[in-house]
Formats: sequence, structure tokens, C-alpha cells
Amino acid sequence: MLSMLRKGEKAIITDISKADELVKRRLLDLGITEGSEVCIKCKMPFGGPFMLESCGQCVGIRKNEASCIKVEGL
Amino acid sequence: MDIALLGNPNTGKTSMFNNLTGSYEYVGNWSGVTVEKKVGIFKQGAAKLIDLPGVYSLNPLSKDEGVVTRFLLDDPFDRMLNIVDASQLERNLHLTLQLIEFGSPLIIGLNMIDVAKNRGIQVDVEKLSSVLGVEVVPVVARTGRGCKDLAEAATTPYRETKKQFQVDYGEEIDKAITKLEQLLQGESSHSTRWLTLQLLEGNPYVKKYLQSYIDMADLDGLIHSTSRAVLAGSEVRTIEQFIYKRRQAAIGEILKETTEVKGNSGQPLSEKIDLIITNKWLGLPIFLCVMYVLFMLTFDWLGFPLSDALDAFISGPITEGISQLLDLVGASKFIHALVLDGIVAGVGGVLVFVPQIFILFFFISILEDSGYMARVALVMDRLMEMVGLNGKAFIPMMIGFGCNVPGIMAARTIETPRERLMTTLLTPLMSCSARLPVYALFVGAFFVHQKALVVLSLYVLGIVVALILAKIFSNTLLRGETSFFVIELPPYRLPQAKALWKSTWEKGKGFVKKAGTFIFAGSVIIWLLSYAGPGGTNVQMDDSFLAMIGGVFAPLLAPLGFGTWQAGASLLTGFLAKEAIISTMNIIYFVPDEAGLQGILANTFSPLSAYSFMVFILLYIPCLATVATIKKETGSYKWTFFSMGYALAIAYILSLIIYQVGQVFGL
Ligand SMILES: Nc1nc2c(ncn2[C@@H]2O[C@H](COP(=O)(O)OP(=O)(O)OP(=O)(O)O)[C@@H](O)[C@H]2O)c(=O)[nH]1
Ligand SMILES: [Mg+2]
Repeated sequence: MLSMLRKGEKAIITDISKADELVKRRLLDLGITEGSEVCIKCKMPFGGPFMLESCGQCVGIRKNEASCIKVEGL
Repeated sequence: MDIALLGNPNTGKTSMFNNLTGSYEYVGNWSGVTVEKKVGIFKQGAAKLIDLPGVYSLNPLSKDEGVVTRFLLDDPFDRMLNIVDASQLERNLHLTLQLIEFGSPLIIGLNMIDVAKNRGIQVDVEKLSSVLGVEVVPVVARTGRGCKDLAEAATTPYRETKKQFQVDYGEEIDKAITKLEQLLQGESSHSTRWLTLQLLEGNPYVKKYLQSYIDMADLDGLIHSTSRAVLAGSEVRTIEQFIYKRRQAAIGEILKETTEVKGNSGQPLSEKIDLIITNKWLGLPIFLCVMYVLFMLTFDWLGFPLSDALDAFISGPITEGISQLLDLVGASKFIHALVLDGIVAGVGGVLVFVPQIFILFFFISILEDSGYMARVALVMDRLMEMVGLNGKAFIPMMIGFGCNVPGIMAARTIETPRERLMTTLLTPLMSCSARLPVYALFVGAFFVHQKALVVLSLYVLGIVVALILAKIFSNTLLRGETSFFVIELPPYRLPQAKALWKSTWEKGKGFVKKAGTFIFAGSVIIWLLSYAGPGGTNVQMDDSFLAMIGGVFAPLLAPLGFGTWQAGASLLTGFLAKEAIISTMNIIYFVPDEAGLQGILANTFSPLSAYSFMVFILLYIPCLATVATIKKETGSYKWTFFSMGYALAIAYILSLIIYQVGQVFGL
């Protein structure tokens, strides 16, 4: 799961189908989908959102959304 | 000729618009700055340029994105100018392909080539142009490089020379296009290919558009049968995804031919900055520090001395000069009083605060242009989530510190209708710049040693009340619907001096202009009301019409600590514009300058009632312009009246508590 990655770790998204429809659409808009490489840049405290980096851009998503996205470590 | 500007969010469309038209529209470094259509005239006067909100694709999720689809479907235009971010070509080309499918004459402005170059991305412009079959002009919208060429290319008559690029979506989709063509029987003027693809992707606007020509059942049938046929032999789950993948594959090919990435230049500076700014533990403290410095500068270190100097200038030399001038032309006593006690007191009393307002706007502009706004949204998201909103809602609130009207407009970028409505209703609680003069005046009179702190407490109070109300609303009136948060964090950019000045001036200009028009007229009326009464003209102020009107409210306000007709009258004018409170007070208390007014206020208010008054001003009602915007955005009288009603109730209760409890403690 994406939410289990540690700060600085890289991974490839393998399954995004469990995520919320709107979240999926927005991530797709940003070019993040199955097969994209992502890297966790930081995690906000108290279960706050994550900052991801993918193809040279940074995106913020919530922890519970990240925990619906399956990834495979690199 | 009408030229529409289209492109992904934050790619520099509005920068280009400003550059070409010479006008100024709102520019900022986050996604979703422009939320409505703006029209400008090209420098040569030959063409009209239409700036639109940024979109990732033509299938909209939020209200501002819907504006673009609406525009393409309903409005006539001659040409599309697609601004493409060269440093994010892959993502940007998805939209470009959809625009090519749309079929209107297209030209591409390849923007941000400076950023791309820094990242080692080299785009072969000629090649890109020939592959896409679309003219491509490289530009840097920020500095204006290449903009002349682009303007030239965009206005020269279109000649269809090259064949435009077409994505191969496979046989099944081609069949669907033919089918839709038959169903339409040539009734729509839009490209059937584009309509079909958008329909299959689930674009609600296009579906609605098609429903005016075709039966709902036929449309659904078409979508269904095509989906089934397309998805039968493949592993993708939805037709939307299938179309995306096809486009993605095509883009991959295009990029392979046209771009070259030369050696990664290590960690970009932007990411290094983010290590600190959005650090897990430093994020929130840094935000609070930034806000603190902003308030200290506006209210204490820099703003106050400047305002005082201006005050001295207006009440001294300027009043003196006007007075002498009036004597010179032999003005009557009435005119004399009208000009000096009415206009100079009313308008001058507001103008005095121009330096402070400009400092505030300057800092808001820095926050907007640097890329910090999106980070604030990220840092605040956890807190906002607890009250049923998302971090994005904080951006409208921050903008609301400048002026509530653009703040409420900015709420359009919030995707879920429930959160958007909540943000629209709560943004007026953010203390806008027009409320600043009231604070400045009162803290100057009562809290000389804790100026910035007292003002900061009011700003924070506005936020806290908004958050508590959000929690209450989301548990009562506006329940349901999950909240959702995905935000793009743009790279930091160093704000440019010229752009900063422009953006500060554009925001501050409104304040100065309002002082010269609205406040001017208001001052005359208020002065006349205070000059005349049932007993004739030139009456004692306490016997004037103004005192009668204000007196109606006085008993109601007494429990809050300011039960005077003067307070009642100024609150009434404050509904029209918050800074009118100050001009009204200046006129009522008969003093031409800030210092004099503060002296008189010290007799009628105590520090406690002054604080209670400021809290009331902060919350009591959105100003007229804000109310109009709420009506426009919610489209409902019910919510508009609700926004006024709850504000009044909260303001009354809070001021009451503050004053009564304070009195118990003997303050
Ligand atoms: N380095 C660089 N920055 C640019 C360039 N063009 C625009 N910018 C910056 O990019 C940011 C976004 O510019 P806008 O013009 O507001 O972008 P927009 O496309 O109108 O954005 P939305 O209205 O949100 O869709 C601003 O901070 C600009 O200063 C460019 O060519 N190079
Ligand atoms: Mg814009």
C-alpha cells in the first residue's frame, strides 16, 4: 500500500481501482495511474496528507486515499 | 476574431493573456487561479482574446472546469490558443489531443521553455509541429519572450495545410462515431468524433448537450454497446480508461520523436525548499510565523507609521489647502461644512489606511505568486478534514483576507458541491482588508502596546469561528458526501518585482477607487443626514435624521457595550462597505483626522466595549458586494439569506458573551 511507504521511498503503482472515483480521476489528470513511479516526499503529522512526487511534479493526497492504492517497491 | 485560451491549470494562460492584451487579470502560482471567462482586446485591436480556467481534460470535475466545456459547446469563437507547459508535456498533451479532436483551428503556445530547459528537457519545436499538424510557437509568458510571434501567428488567417494528428482508438470507437453521426442527422455543428469520445468518457455536459437532439435511451444504448465491445478483448476496466490509454500511447510516441531529456540535474531547488516548508513538524509553525510577520508589518512595524504620516498630511496641509481654496472662491458656510466635515472627513478617513492595505496586499501577492498557497492547503488539510472540509478550502479563505469577493469565487475549484457551498458560506468570516481600518483605528485608541496581537486575535477568531461553524454545518445542515483532497503542488517560483507590484496595485486599486466613488457619495449622504433633522437644517447632531436612524438600533446594541446611535448608524453603513464604518464615524464625531477621532472614541468606548465592537464588525454581516457574489455562486436566495442571518446571530452572541463576561471580570 502507498500509505505504508516511508519518506523517500520509491514505488510503482500496481492497482488504483480501490480508490475513490474522484481521487482516481484527479490523479489520472495529473498523469498518475497504474504503472507510474511515485516517491513519498513527506507525511504530515497526525495522519495528515502525504506529498508525492511523480514525473517531476508534486501532488498532495490524503492518507486514507493513499491506503487504497497498491504499490510495488522498487 | 475571437481567440480562446485553453490549457492545463497553472501553465501561464493568464500571464499570456495579460501580456497580449496589456490588461491585468489575476495570476498566481497554483492550479485554479482563473475561475471564470475573461475577455480582452488584443494590442492591435484586431482580435478578442478569451481567458478561461485551466483544465486537465475537457471532461470536468469542478465548477470552474465546467466553464470551459460550456464555453466550447455554446459560445462561438474562431480559434483556440492552447498554452502548453513544456516542462510537463506528457500531461499537457492529453488536453491538446482533445482540442485537436474538437476540430476548431488550433495553435499551440509552448510555454515555460525556461523551466523545461532548467530541467534538461529539450523540445524539438519544428518536429512537434509537424507531428501534430499544428503550428507551435515557443514562448516565455512571464517575460514576454516570443509573445509577439505568437500573437502574429494567432491572428494570421488560418490555412489548413498539414494534416492534424489523429489518435487511433480502434475499430469499435470508429463505429460508435459513425453511429452517432447517424443519430445526429447533421444537427450539431460540433465534430462528431469529439462528441462521441467525450460521451464515452462520461462527460456530463456533452451528454446533456446531445440529449437535446437524441433520445436518452439511444445514447445510453450507444455507450453500453460500445463499452461492451471495446472492453471485451482487453484487460482495462472502463472505456474511459481505454481512451486514456490510447491517448497515452500516442503521446508516448510523440514524445519519443520530439523531446530529449539530458541528464537529471539533481534535486530541484523547489524540492529542497519543500524539505523545510512542508516539513512534518515545521509546516504549521512556519505558516503561523508567516502570518505573524504579515500582521506585524501591516499593523505595527511598517503600516502604522506610514498611515500616521499620511493622516498628518491629510488633516494638516490638505485640509488647510482646501479650506483656503474654499475661502478664496467664497464658498458658503454650507459648502464649507459639506466639503470639510463631510467629504474630507469621510473620504480622507478611509484613504489614510491605504498604506496598510497595500502592505497587506503586497504580502498576499507574494504568497500567491511564490507557490506557497498550495502548500498551506496541504499543511492545513488535517485540521480542515476534522471539520468536514478539505485543505483546498483554505485557499479561498486566505484570498478572503484580501477581499471576500475573489475568495468566494475561488471556492469554485473545490470539487464536491457540499464543501464548495460550505466554503462559500464561511469565507465572509475571514477578515477582509476593508475591515482593517476599523481595527487600525480602535487598536490605535485602546490597545497601543499590543496592536498587532489584538488584531491577530481578531483574524484568528474569524478562522476559529469558521472552523467551528464548518463542524456544526457538516453535522447538521450539510451532511453526507465524502470529502476529497488531491492537490497539485506547483514548483516554487521567485516572484518578480514587476508582477508583484502589478498584482498589489490591482488589488489595492479597488480600495482607492471605492474611496473616490462609493465612499465619496456615501459621505455626502451621511453628512446631509447628520446636518438635517426633523427640526430643519444645521441641527444639533443628536437631533438629526442620522441619529434617529441609528437610534433605532441603539437599544439592541446596548447589551454588547456600544448602545449608541453613532454605533448603530455606522454599522448600518458598514453593510454597504465595511470601510464606510470609518467614514461614518469620522463624520459623526466631527473630526477630520484619525488622531482626533481616537481621542473622542476613548470617551465613548472602553477597551472592553471597543473589543466587543471589533468582534461584531468582524462577523456581523458580509458586505453588499459579497452578498451579491454569494447569491451568484450559490444561485439560491435561501443560502444567501442564511449567510447573512447566521453571521448576525454569531456576531451578536459572541459580542454579548465578550462584553458581559468581561464586565464580570471588571475589565
Ligand atoms: N518560469 C516561468 N514561469 C511562468 C511562465 N509563464 C507563467 N509563469 C508563472 O506561472 C504561474 C501561473 O501563471 P498563470 O498565468 O496564473 O497560469 P494560468 O494558466 O492562468 O493558471 P490557472 O488560471 O490556474 O489555470 C505564475 O506564477 C506565473 O508567474 C514562464 O514562461 N516561465
Ligand atoms: Mg489563469
